[in-house]
Amino acid sequence: MFKNNIYIIFILLFGLIFPIGYFTGLIPINTLTLWGRYFCLAIAALGVDLIWGYTGILSMTQALFFCMGAYGMGMYMTLSNLPKGQLLPSFMIWNQVEELPFFWVPFDNFSYALVLSILVPGVFAGILGYFIFRKRIKGVYFAIITQAIALAMFLLFSRNETMLGGTNGLTDFKFFLGFDLRDNAVKFGLYALSLISLGLIYWYCHNLVNSKFGKSLVAIRDSESRMRFTKYKVAHYNVAIFMIGAMVAAVGGMLYMPQTGIITPGRMDVQASIEMIIWVALGGRGRLKGAVIGTLVLNLMYSVFTTLLPSSWLYILGGLFVVTVLYLPKGVVGLVDQIKEKLNGMFAKTA
Amino acid sequence: MKNKISFFVTFIMLVTGWAKEVLPNNIPLDTCVQVILQKDVARIKEVANYIVANDDVAIYPLISAIIDKRLYSYNDRAVTKFPGDSLYYSVYPVLKSVDLSGLKIKEVKLARSVRNQFNSLVKKVNLIHPNPSIREMSFRSFKTGSSLSDIAFLESIIKNEKNKDVLLAAEEAIYSIWLSSGDVALQNKALTEIEKEVNVYMLESLTEYVKSTTNIGGKERAENIIDDIKSREKTINIIQNLFSGISLGSVLLLVALGLSIIYGLGGVINMSHGEFVMIGAYTAFSIQQFFIAFLPESLFDFFFWVSLPFSFIVSGLFGLLVEKLVIRFLYNRPLESLLGTWGVSLILIQLARTIFGDVTAVKSPEILSGGINVAAGLILPFNRLFIIGLTVVMVLLTYFMFFKSKLGLKIRAVTQNRNMSASLGVSVKRIDSLTFFLGSGLAGVAGCAMTLIGNVVPNMGQTYIVDSFLVVVVGGVGKLIGTIISAMGIGVLSKVFEFFYEAVYGKVILLLIIFFFLQYKPKGLFSDKGRHSDD
Amino acid sequence: MLEVKDLKVSFGGLTALNLDAFSVTKNELRVIIGPNGAGKSTFMDIVCGKTKPQQGSVKFKGLELLGKKEVEIAKLGVGRKFQKPSIFSGLTVYDNLLLGLDGPKDVFTSYFYKLASYDKNRIMEVAEKVGLVNDLNMIAGSLSHGKKQWLEIAIVMLQDSELMLIDEPAAGMSDVEAEKTGNLLCDLSKKHSVIVIEHDMKFVEQIAIEKVSVLVRGQMLTEGTFQEVRNNQEVIDCYLGSANSAQQKAHS
Repeated sequence: MFKNNIYIIFILLFGLIFPIGYFTGLIPINTLTLWGRYFCLAIAALGVDLIWGYTGILSMTQALFFCMGAYGMGMYMTLSNLPKGQLLPSFMIWNQVEELPFFWVPFDNFSYALVLSILVPGVFAGILGYFIFRKRIKGVYFAIITQAIALAMFLLFSRNETMLGGTNGLTDFKFFLGFDLRDNAVKFGLYALSLISLGLIYWYCHNLVNSKFGKSLVAIRDSESRMRFTKYKVAHYNVAIFMIGAMVAAVGGMLYMPQTGIITPGRMDVQASIEMIIWVALGGRGRLKGAVIGTLVLNLMYSVFTTLLPSSWLYILGGLFVVTVLYLPKGVVGLVDQIKEKLNGMFAKTA
Repeated sequence: MKNKISFFVTFIMLVTGWAKEVLPNNIPLDTCVQVILQKDVARIKEVANYIVANDDVAIYPLISAIIDKRLYSYNDRAVTKFPGDSLYYSVYPVLKSVDLSGLKIKEVKLARSVRNQFNSLVKKVNLIHPNPSIREMSFRSFKTGSSLSDIAFLESIIKNEKNKDVLLAAEEAIYSIWLSSGDVALQNKALTEIEKEVNVYMLESLTEYVKSTTNIGGKERAENIIDDIKSREKTINIIQNLFSGISLGSVLLLVALGLSIIYGLGGVINMSHGEFVMIGAYTAFSIQQFFIAFLPESLFDFFFWVSLPFSFIVSGLFGLLVEKLVIRFLYNRPLESLLGTWGVSLILIQLARTIFGDVTAVKSPEILSGGINVAAGLILPFNRLFIIGLTVVMVLLTYFMFFKSKLGLKIRAVTQNRNMSASLGVSVKRIDSLTFFLGSGLAGVAGCAMTLIGNVVPNMGQTYIVDSFLVVVVGGVGKLIGTIISAMGIGVLSKVFEFFYEAVYGKVILLLIIFFFLQYKPKGLFSDKGRHSDD
Repeated sequence: MLEVKDLKVSFGGLTALNLDAFSVTKNELRVIIGPNGAGKSTFMDIVCGKTKPQQGSVKFKGLELLGKKEVEIAKLGVGRKFQKPSIFSGLTVYDNLLLGLDGPKDVFTSYFYKLASYDKNRIMEVAEKVGLVNDLNMIAGSLSHGKKQWLEIAIVMLQDSELMLIDEPAAGMSDVEAEKTGNLLCDLSKKHSVIVIEHDMKFVEQIAIEKVSVLVRGQMLTEGTFQEVRNNQEVIDCYLGSANSAQQKAHS
């Protein structure tokens, strides 16, 4: 696994230089938190890569699953942050709710919240996937239908009656598991947790795509009918990877929550999902490295450009979509590989 | 000096409450008009008070002009001008048009305090307001809080009224007054009249009557009418929703038509299609601005008719540009084209925001404001009717272009088999460009039409793009008839669901229905059959 | 083994196939020939579940296949090689073969799959037979057309189907390669029933060790040995004759 230099650079930079920089006071804690958030998004992007990069299914619901994870964690944090004596979140009191809705109750407990935040998106993806894949809806049709689902969920989450905080979402947290979120040490801990989680999930995905299951996914992407005539129930595989992708995204969302302190329905709309796809496309689809690199690069760019030239960002993002699709079908990672191959060829000739 | 004294006297009288009785009981109206036109500060208050107390219908046009700040004078004659009309009208002694071209006309600006003096007359003066819908409203306002003594006055006014809707409102007012009069004979007369032609606007007066009356027979009759009105209201609601559903469907259809043709032709999912709608709308906006800046006001209403073809051309050209720069490389790679054109859409939205800012609106031409009053309470607005008509025309044009012209034949050929068409000598590239031009142009026309019913904002295309794609998918890709049926179906259903549930839930239910429909027919309403490879 | 009766399929009013009766016995090698558009590939599509006919019956080992899904039919023991090679172009040749290998193919088995030495031997054995041993680590998409054909045949072989439907296996192959393919098919028919569609008459002659069926405009024209078919006047008229008459027209 450590054959490639990029892993070593990654670990040195984020596992060593960043922490050292922080402890010596050279790197502000907010920078670390920012990268911590990027890691969470990279986890979601790994899910996108599994579904789209490896299996070839363009899903517009990844941001939704990410948000479901985030909302799950947000519900736990909302309840655990209630002031003494207050039984309901403030937005419910404003909406004249008398009793905590049933689906909020288990989120009072951290372990339940943890399990449910992953399980709910997984089951939702399973049901959705079952209906769609059963009828062999794929490609463009799949993209458009999931787009409609994402829109429907966005609308539902935005309503006050669904008891999820409406358009304001869930926010205003001071503590996470009893730790003060304003404390730098806690912030560093969350950064480290995100980094480790990204590493573990990367490792999991790495094993997954190299297993027979992973090969089957690529096989489905290349020739669905050949898979069927070779006795594979393609729909089952599709549903399975759709669920895995959803749960991976949910983990990203859960970790994202304590670091941003806010989740709103705006994060789950169609645009958010398409942006996740472009992270992967730019990095290199069908390559796990690509998903992570693409996410980190694009989010860094987002932070830089929205601070320096706010109105230019959409031009840049739009341009990147076009350039990636037209000129970088294999993304940055693919481009680097190509260049390497060329260089190797040249050296081989001269030698 | 004399003026000053008389003013002083009046003032004292007003303060001491004698005013009404001791007012000089006859100031000739001609004098009143002159005082107002000359803005004779000393007498204007007195005159105003006199006019209010005297309450002569003959002076109403003048008061109306004062209240609406459209009083002008020339040669000591009071004239007015109505919005949207370049002619002048004399306001006293009779309201009639006068030819004043070339004469020097002065606006008579009166202080707010003077104008406010006429406030108590507004309700009555508006009965002769130039705008029929204001007249209609004023008559309706007499339905409550009026007494039998007002009837004679109302009747004197409607003598000259010709507008059917206003007359209807006047009748409502009179019947309502009868109903609330307490006179059983009049009440029965009112019920008989109402029974002749049931009018939904009578609901309140009838309900009020049912509550207060002791006459059992009358109560029963009124209750029957109320039931009738309620069932009528239901029907009207359904028709209204069907109508707005069809008009929404028309917009969706205009947008989806281009999408469907383009997807059928080149396997391209054009996410930036919505932005061509936006470009069409901004074209209409720009042309409106041009008309305001450079052309005489009388030509203003033409801007919209100029905008329609321009929106088609400008959006079409943008479509052509996008095709040449981006989409050309993405034929038959639907998912890549989806991502690439999404990028294009981001750029176009930001471009519009940079140039035009956030919200702008286009004023509808006068001819398209208002609507057809089909029945009491059921108005079909002209702008929506126009959109439906425009859609019918565009669909017919598309149909003929598609199935009856040589170009259409070529487009269908390329749609079916790109390589085969190319080898048979069809210039595929040219067909691609042309089709793109046409499809984007249709979206542009849709955008232009949308300015009639909403604001122009940079991301307006995004609102319609998801729905339009659903229309394409449900209808069956590349199928004209399927697209029409599904656009109308989705348009009507979404309005109907919005009516029964709240807007958001209506939308969610519709999306669920589409989701399950595609379970049953994954390729849409109409789809090709035959042996084809999947991979 | 395979019994077909009254099979009818049409696309938009155009009858593509109208087959009264057709059967293949165990371990038979049957060649189907016929001009373009005769319905040969459509016939295979129906048997393996890709296309649904309007009426008729297709029985395999006494079981009705019509109405069953592709996977179910494949599980009953029908393997298919397509006209245009259908392989997993993004995977290595080895992975292609691994996926083709017979065995449980549900999600969980794949998820927890560990390569057994028995499986590996089986893959190597088949790779040897089709001559892909040296290409195992190549990405399948970069193989030559002929090798892609072999790879697809190998996938079908690894599936161990009792009935193999092989659509134009020699297309795009050199004479030497085609001969090798022919030998392979003959060899396969010792343990399996094989139906082959082919255009190349030289290749047909090589593999037509048993019956040849001639399909014309969706109907079975005749069946018999290669010699019988070749000398049948109707076949010559319908199949080769079209070319002859075209030539005659060109001359006149």
